[in-house]
Amino acid sequence: MEIVIETQNLTKIYKPLDFWKKETQTGIKNINLTVYKGEVFGLLGLNGAGKTTLMKTILGLLQPTSGTLKIFGDSINNIKIRQRIGYMPELPYFPKYLKAYEIMEYFADIFDIENKKERILKTLEIVGLKGSEYKRIKSFSKGMQSRLGMAQALINDPDILFLDEPMSGLDPLGYKEMRDVLINLNKHGKTIFFNSHILSEVEKICDRVAVMHRGELKDVKKVKQIMQKYKSMEDYFIHNVKEKK
Amino acid sequence: MKSIFAVAEYIIKQNFRNKILNVLTIFSVFIIGFSLAISELAQESEIRMLKDFGLFSISLLSFIILLLSVTLQMFEETELKTMHIIMVKPIKRSEYLIGKYLGLIFTIFMNILLMLVILMLIIKLRNSDPWDLKLLLSAFFVFVSICIISSVAILFSVVATSVPGCILFIFFTYVLGHLTIHLKNLVMASENTLLKIIVDIIYYIVPNLELFNLKNKLETTYGLFEPSYIFLIFSYSILYIFIILLISIKYFEKKEFF
Repeated sequence: MEIVIETQNLTKIYKPLDFWKKETQTGIKNINLTVYKGEVFGLLGLNGAGKTTLMKTILGLLQPTSGTLKIFGDSINNIKIRQRIGYMPELPYFPKYLKAYEIMEYFADIFDIENKKERILKTLEIVGLKGSEYKRIKSFSKGMQSRLGMAQALINDPDILFLDEPMSGLDPLGYKEMRDVLINLNKHGKTIFFNSHILSEVEKICDRVAVMHRGELKDVKKVKQIMQKYKSMEDYFIHNVKEKK
Repeated sequence: MKSIFAVAEYIIKQNFRNKILNVLTIFSVFIIGFSLAISELAQESEIRMLKDFGLFSISLLSFIILLLSVTLQMFEETELKTMHIIMVKPIKRSEYLIGKYLGLIFTIFMNILLMLVILMLIIKLRNSDPWDLKLLLSAFFVFVSICIISSVAILFSVVATSVPGCILFIFFTYVLGHLTIHLKNLVMASENTLLKIIVDIIYYIVPNLELFNLKNKLETTYGLFEPSYIFLIFSYSILYIFIILLISIKYFEKKEFF
């Protein structure tokens, strides 16, 4: 299977922001992780476990202190690699006085997408924002803003999608819609890497999951294996986190 | 190159749609209009008073617009983390910063142009020639000085970790930029070597904005508007902006987004 993400001993230690302070903080420690093409990979962990740090390090927003990291066999700093990536942060924010189409146009221009208008309208339709293209963001609900966040991540038809808490701020119907979008994208061959607290959704969507605790990767398993061994995803998660507290 | 223009266009759209900035622009127009009332106070040098007050207002208000624009941008980028999305896209950090700078100075250019047109209309109303080359050059160099302070604003927005800190530094640079030349003149008479060295350091690091303050010399004839002077201060501005943007880019390329 083709490897999409590969990390070896990936470590991120935060330096103190003030130069006169000495205490450092470990964000992630010796992470060895492999994500394969076409799979949905879920990252679980308590608050402060290092999930977002790991995602930001993979995406190049943070520089690793040590270890190696490859996406599609290359560095994330390579612009060509970033052409193949989509990223949606937790609770994405967009200027309230701009329209959804204008936000999408901005990102489409950065990707230098041909048939820009067609692509924007299609992407907005995928995430269920058809009919809201020319509405200002200030009239959008939280769920609609999340969908727009998803739309900007999909504008370049990425090979891999990074989602930081994609269910955050959504209502139960929103969960289902987001889940359907992710499952559909996966059917079209997209690799999906995401953090989530919603274990039931992780169980429904993911092929494999990893549990992080205090900056370390505690376990990586296939969802099928977990469901055979444990009663639920919750039991598996608690087992990993409690045992190692 | 397309990425640079995409960022610039986005910044311009944001600025022109922002209500706070729009209100400030309308306020600026009123202030310029107010110069009509001020000029009434001057009996003989009415037009000169009109131009002086108009140019002073353009300079001050364009700086306030810059401050506000940088505040709004930085708040969205750092506090609301919009920067995270863009930094993952296939755009070089240098392209993003240059695009942001271009968007910022275009916004200010449009505001200065609007205020200048209002001022020229008022001058026309007062039966004087609004197409005065000295007035136009003075307004142009107000814009150039704001371009310099904008590059400093970009640097501080990249380096600073908080919005208030950034705004405070920009404000101090603007004030110092207008004072350094006077400080240098004052210290020249002093025998304190340490003081001279400190003032010299500040003088060469902080942009010398008084060089561009042509509005007080509108009616003079001893050389301030000579092409050699214009060329000199224009070259200084280009060099200063280039160096500051280069430092900003170098820092930004290594910046982490927490």
